[in-house]
Amino acid sequence: MTPHMPVNILMVDDQPGKLLSYEAILEPLGENLVKANSGREALEYLLKSDIAVVLMDVSMPDIDGFQLADMIREHPRFQKTAIIFISAVHLTDGDRIKGYERGAVDYISVPVIPELLRAKVSVFAELYRKTQQLEKLNRELEERVAERTEELRESESQFRSLANSIPQLAWMADPSGNIFWYNQRWYDYTGTTFEQVKGWGWDIVHDPEHLERVSKKYRQCISTGEPWDDTFPIRGKDGNYRWFLSRALPIHDVTGKIVRWFGTNTDITERKQAEEALIKSERFAAMGRLAGIIAHEINNPLEAISNAFYLLRDHPSLDEEARYYSRLAEEELARVAHITKQTLSFYRESQQPVAVSLSEVLDNVIELQSRRLQVSGIALEKQIETAGMVQGYPVELKQVFLNLIANAIQAMPQGGRLRIRLCHSSDWHNGRSGVRVSIFDTGVGILPEHARRIFEPFFSTKDAKGTGLGLWISKGIVQKYEGSIRFRSMRDGHGNVTCFSVFIPALAASEIPEKAAALVA
Amino acid sequence: MSDRKTVILCVDDEDNPLVLRKLVLQKAGHEVITARSGKEALDLIGSRSVDLVLSDYLMPGMNGAELAEQVKAQHPELPVVLISGVNEIPPGASIADAFVSKVEGPDALSRQISAVLERGGTAAE
Repeated sequence: MTPHMPVNILMVDDQPGKLLSYEAILEPLGENLVKANSGREALEYLLKSDIAVVLMDVSMPDIDGFQLADMIREHPRFQKTAIIFISAVHLTDGDRIKGYERGAVDYISVPVIPELLRAKVSVFAELYRKTQQLEKLNRELEERVAERTEELRESESQFRSLANSIPQLAWMADPSGNIFWYNQRWYDYTGTTFEQVKGWGWDIVHDPEHLERVSKKYRQCISTGEPWDDTFPIRGKDGNYRWFLSRALPIHDVTGKIVRWFGTNTDITERKQAEEALIKSERFAAMGRLAGIIAHEINNPLEAISNAFYLLRDHPSLDEEARYYSRLAEEELARVAHITKQTLSFYRESQQPVAVSLSEVLDNVIELQSRRLQVSGIALEKQIETAGMVQGYPVELKQVFLNLIANAIQAMPQGGRLRIRLCHSSDWHNGRSGVRVSIFDTGVGILPEHARRIFEPFFSTKDAKGTGLGLWISKGIVQKYEGSIRFRSMRDGHGNVTCFSVFIPALAASEIPEKAAALVA
Repeated sequence: MSDRKTVILCVDDEDNPLVLRKLVLQKAGHEVITARSGKEALDLIGSRSVDLVLSDYLMPGMNGAELAEQVKAQHPELPVVLISGVNEIPPGASIADAFVSKVEGPDALSRQISAVLERGGTAAE
């Protein structure tokens, strides 16, 4: 039920008596009754206030009812105002009234029957009231639509400025997966234009190695409507790939239909590197623990056996032959001791990393190898450009260069040239500064088919002579210092030149991971 | 060194290594007594004269470093040498006068012991 808001009813008649009688008839309706004595006066009321129904006598002196009706109808505001004529029934009048049929027009013949007049006025008044309510509702709805449109426009612009301020790359796709918008960061990072990457054009910044997998999963999520996430590299404008964790969520409308996808790409390169470093250092620590256990289990009986053969060495009860067997056994035992010492029981002389001069380490190693250099007829050339100070453990650093220099010497049984260079340098990857040791030999070189395997454990080209662990151990030690070891073997007109190059960053003592430092190789 | 044979107290929880190490040291001219645990070693030190303690590091109960600590608390001048098959110089082992790897062999062991005896029982660093 709508509340009964009184509407205005304008009664027009030149005879005050008639007006009074209409007033008496309509009073029970509870509407506002307005009286006008002439057409002119009626027009004044119409312009001043909202009139729901005009009740008018057809015959009036200056402006008659039909003239007044025409004037009312001409005004756009009153085209729908209900008019009720009161008139004696003449045929001509009936025709004229029909002319108004399209509008809300009715007539009452005289003598006026009060119930009929009341009923007709009441219907028009009610119609007016309903129309007013509808119009009001309509206006309110239009206002709300306008407000919502403004809100949406604001929220869209807020969304875009938010999407441009986040550190992630962001984008939006239509329900079929076509990307129609990227945030500014996407363009800043990839250096692409919208034309290049719109729709499915983003594949140009993907690593071909990952593209098929990424594209397949994305298509699958688009078709099932499942949230998408994946991890893959995206190429930056500098040409380098960085790793991103990417996610996209479907945005649904009220009916649950997907209207668009909103996606982000978060740079996780650093996190990924840290994780890899952690895995590596955990692997090193695990190897260290394993080496510790094995070392203990092997070294204990090894010591006992060594001691037993030591006691047998010149035991009076042994004859010449038994002593010979014993000596052979002792020699073989020395090999076991050598390998466990190299790989497993490589204990350090100090517990804290100390400042080590690689120049001194190299001198030390060269001195150890001086006899073999002489015997093989190898010419030594040293290029020491720095003291090469690094933080670390002298024994293991010595082992790295002992392995490399011994290998170089063994590669030149017929003599040659050994060149050792120590200089300041920086990491080829990340520009970190440090020290580089390069060891060149003119020996037999490294066969291309061996190149990929030389850092593998138990890979040896020296047959029974080598353990196949030297380079593997050296690499392990260098990596522990976050350094790198690499080699090149070149053949020129005069023969081969092989170069092993070790880079060790200038680390602060505290930077050597404690766990990794506990590692043997 | 005096004419008197130096007395070395050899400590290890394992029989064979203990006996063989004892024989090697005897061959090098020392008098050797043995203990099968840190506790037994401390009892022996209290009851007779010892010139040097040579102890395995990894033993059940009291390890070599703990034994060294107790020995040094009671007899600061008594040298202690630790011998071990483990990779690292274990934490706490720096209280000993020397640390020898089992892999080094009998000659190295004898050399280390002679060096420590000549230096006298002052703890390293």
